[in-house]
Amino acid sequence: MAKYLGLDKVGKLFQIIQQSGGLRAAYKKLYRFDELKIGSLVGTDKYGNKYFENPYYFYGRNRWVEYAHHQNMDYDGSQIPAEWFGWMHYKTDLPPIRDGARVQHKWMASHSENLSGTKEQYMPYTTTKPKYEAWDPKKK
Amino acid sequence: MIRAPLTKALSLGSSTSPIHKIAAAAFRTTAVTAQIPAKAPEKIEVFVDDIPVHVEPGTTILQAAAVAGVEIPRFCYHERLAVAGNCRMCLVEIEKSPKLAAACAMPVMKGWRIKTNSEKTRQAREGVMEFLLMNHPLDCPICDQGGECDLQDQAMAFGSDRSRFTDINHSGKRAVEDKDIGPLVKTIMTRCIHCTRCIRFASEIAGVDDLGTTGRGNDMQIGTYVEKLFLSEMSGNVIDLCPVGALTNKPFSFAARPWETRKISSIDVLDAVGSNIIVSTRTNEVLRILPRENEEINEEWLADKSRFACDGLKRQRLVAPMVRIKGELTPVEWEGALIEVGQKVRAANGAVAGVAGSLADVESMVALKDLLNRVGSEAVCTEQSFPSEGSGADLRSNYLFNRNIQSLETADVALLIGTNPRYEAPLINTRLRKAYVHNELEVASIGPKIDLSYRHNNLGDDSNLITQICNGTHPFAAKLKEAKNPAIIVGSDLLARPDGAGILANLQNFAKGFKSTSALNVLQRNASQAGALDIGYQAGVEEAIKSKPKVLFLLNADEAKVTRDQLPKDCYIVYVGHHGDEGAQIADAVLPGVAYTEKTATYVNTEGRAQQTLAAVSPPGLARDDWKIFRAISEIVGAPLPYDSLEEIRDRLDDIAPHLIRHGHLEANSFQTVAPQLSAAPSISSGKVSVQQLSLKDYFMTDPISRASPTMAKCIQAAKKEGEKKAASASC
Repeated sequence: MAKYLGLDKVGKLFQIIQQSGGLRAAYKKLYRFDELKIGSLVGTDKYGNKYFENPYYFYGRNRWVEYAHHQNMDYDGSQIPAEWFGWMHYKTDLPPIRDGARVQHKWMASHSENLSGTKEQYMPYTTTKPKYEAWDPKKK
Repeated sequence: MIRAPLTKALSLGSSTSPIHKIAAAAFRTTAVTAQIPAKAPEKIEVFVDDIPVHVEPGTTILQAAAVAGVEIPRFCYHERLAVAGNCRMCLVEIEKSPKLAAACAMPVMKGWRIKTNSEKTRQAREGVMEFLLMNHPLDCPICDQGGECDLQDQAMAFGSDRSRFTDINHSGKRAVEDKDIGPLVKTIMTRCIHCTRCIRFASEIAGVDDLGTTGRGNDMQIGTYVEKLFLSEMSGNVIDLCPVGALTNKPFSFAARPWETRKISSIDVLDAVGSNIIVSTRTNEVLRILPRENEEINEEWLADKSRFACDGLKRQRLVAPMVRIKGELTPVEWEGALIEVGQKVRAANGAVAGVAGSLADVESMVALKDLLNRVGSEAVCTEQSFPSEGSGADLRSNYLFNRNIQSLETADVALLIGTNPRYEAPLINTRLRKAYVHNELEVASIGPKIDLSYRHNNLGDDSNLITQICNGTHPFAAKLKEAKNPAIIVGSDLLARPDGAGILANLQNFAKGFKSTSALNVLQRNASQAGALDIGYQAGVEEAIKSKPKVLFLLNADEAKVTRDQLPKDCYIVYVGHHGDEGAQIADAVLPGVAYTEKTATYVNTEGRAQQTLAAVSPPGLARDDWKIFRAISEIVGAPLPYDSLEEIRDRLDDIAPHLIRHGHLEANSFQTVAPQLSAAPSISSGKVSVQQLSLKDYFMTDPISRASPTMAKCIQAAKKEGEKKAASASC
C-alpha cells in the first residue's frame, strides 16, 4: 500500500538525509554533486575522497565517489588515485584497502591530478629565436 | 628563365618619337648598338622563323628575334652589358649559311632567313647544354639558385632528355676552389659556367676591375687573381646576373626557396634615389630584397645597402609604447601612452614642435603637421638643413634633382660640388659612369679627393673654387657654358652649411646662362627630404629649437641633430619611429611606428617623383602606422584630424600637392629661370668643401635600419680590413 502511494520513496529521502548528516549537509551534497544517493562507505583514500557502493542502483551508477570537502566545487575525475580508479571502473570488485596483493614500494610516486586550466598547468614555451629583437633602453 | 623582357627589345626601332629614340639609344649600350649612326638609316628586312621584321642595320640576330617575338636562349648575353659571345647557347641557323651563328653577336644582313627552331639549331643547343652540364655539379637540391636558375630552366627546355655522362668514375667533374669575395656574395665556383657576366658588370657598371679570368679552356676560373674582397657598393647585383648558383646571396643562403616566398613590389628608402624593389617575405618575415626594373630610376640594379640592410629591420625594433617612469623607459599599453602624450600636448598650450627624420613618409609627416597646426604651432621641420634665405624651399626646383636621373646619361659635362654620389646615391653614380663610358661625359669635382669609379678632374676642396667657377674665372666654367647637356650636382650637405644660400644663389645665377634649363641639381641624401619640403616643412632643426617647445615630436629623427641641452628643461620629447636609436634614447615617450616594409606610404625621391611602398609584412608587436598614431593623439588632444583611412589621408595629400598621389609620375619643374631673381646674397665663406662619405666603409651605416643590421657591420669590418691591407702593401 505504502508502495503504491510512494511513501517508500519519502522514507528513502529521510534515510538519505539522515545518512548525509542532516538537512543542511544533504543540501550541500546535492549542491556539490547534483544528486543524493544512499550507500555503504567502501573506503576513503589518502586525499579524503570517499567511495560508496549501493547495488540498489543499476550497474554503472552503483559505485560513486564523494570528493573531499576541501576540493569544494573544484573536483574532477583525475583526483581519483590510480588504485581506486580500477574499482570505480569495475576493473576489480576488490577495493584497494581490502586487496592484500597490491604492491607497495617506497619509490612509487603519489598520485597527481590533471592541472590543466589551473595556474600550475604545463605551458610549453617556444625554443626558437623571436623574429624581432626588441630594443632594450637599458642596454647601451 | 630568360631575363630580357621582350617589351624593351620591342621598343628599339619600333617607336618614332625622338625622346623615345634617345632613351632607347641611351640604355641600349652594347658595342653593336653604339655603332648606330645618329641619322636614322634605312631599315632592313629579315625573317625570323619566316616572320618578317624590319630592323635598323647593326641590330643583332637576338634583338631582331626579340622584335619578332622569338626568344633565343642565352647565358652570357645581357642587354645592359657588352656582348661576350662565349656561352654559345644562342647559336641559330641561318639559311644558306654553312655554319651556325651566335645570335647575340652577329649583326643581321638584308634578307636573312633565321631559323631559331630548326633541327640543326636544336641539336646545337642540346650539344652546348651537354658540354655545360658535363662540368656542372648536380647539386640543385642544395643550391640556392634552385628555382630561379637559368641553367636549370634551359636544361629543361633545350637540353637532352638523357645523360651520356659516364666518366664519373675516372677523372670526375671539374672542381674549383671557392673564393672569399666578401660578406655579401657567396661563391660556389664549381657551379660557374664562365659566362663572364659578373666580370663585365664589375668593370662596366660598377667600375671596379676586381674580377677577371685566369687559365684557359677547362682550367678557366673566375676570380680576383689575388685573394681580395670584391668590395663595391654595387656588388650584390652580380648575384642577380649570375645565371647559375655560382654567386649567391650570402645572408640569404639556405633561407628559402624562391617559390615559397611572397614578392611585394615596393620602394627603397635608404637613400634618396627611390630605387624600385621587390620585398621577398615568408612567414611574415622579410627575407631578401631584390631590384625591380624601372628604366627611369634604377634600371635593374640595386645598391648594396638597399639590398642587404633588410636584416636590420628585425633588430633593435620598438615593439611596444614606452613612457619614462622614474627615469626609465618602461613598456606600457597604447592607451596609457597616448593619454600621457595627449595631456602633455594639451598642457603645452601650443608650444609644440615636430622634427622629421630621414625615413619619415609623407603621410605621417602630413598628419604630424596637421596635428601641430591644430594645436596652434607652426614649428615643423626636417633634420636635414636647407637654406631658407631667398626663395629657399619655396621653389621646388631649388631642392630637387631637376635633370631627372635617366637623362643624366645624355650629359656631356658634369660638375660635382660637395657630394660623393658613389656612396650618397650609388645608382645616380652608375648613370654618371654610363654617360662617362658611352657619352664621353667629362666630370669635375669640388671637394675632397674621392674615387668615383670613373676618371674625373678633382679641382680641389677650396670653397673659393665655387665662386671662381660661378664668375667664370675658372677654366672649367667655360666648358660648362659651352656644353649641350651640362649637369651641376650639389650635395645637400654642402647647402646645409651656414653659407648654403650663398652657394645656391651663386650656382643659380651661373646656371642661367646654360644651354639646358635644368642643369642645376641638388642631390638629397634622405628619402624623406623632398617630400617634407613639398608639404611645407621647414628645413633644419633651428626653427624647432627656437620655438622653445614644451613638447617635441621626433618622427624618425635619429641623426641626433636635436639634443636635450638645446631644449628647455621641462621639454617633453615624444619619439615616433621604428628603431631604438638616437631619437628613442632621449625621448620621454616612445610610440612605435613601422618601417618601410610594413607600411603603405608615399616617399618622394630626389628627382621629385612620388612613389609608394607597399606593406610586405605586418608590424612587429604593438607597432602601428605612424600617421595613425598622430590621428589617435589628435583625438585625445580634442582636435581630431579629418581622416580615418589611407584613402582619406591620400585625399588630404591631394589637397596639399596633387603630385604626391600620382605615384611613379615625374612632374616637370618650371621655376629654374625664376629662381635666380629671388635668390639670396651670393656670398660664400672661405673654407673647405667636405663630404661625409669618403670611402666604402662610410657607406654602409647611415640610418637606423642599416645601423641595426649585422650584415652591414660585417661589410664595414671587411672594408676596413681591405683598406688596412691596401695601406700595408702600399707602405712596403
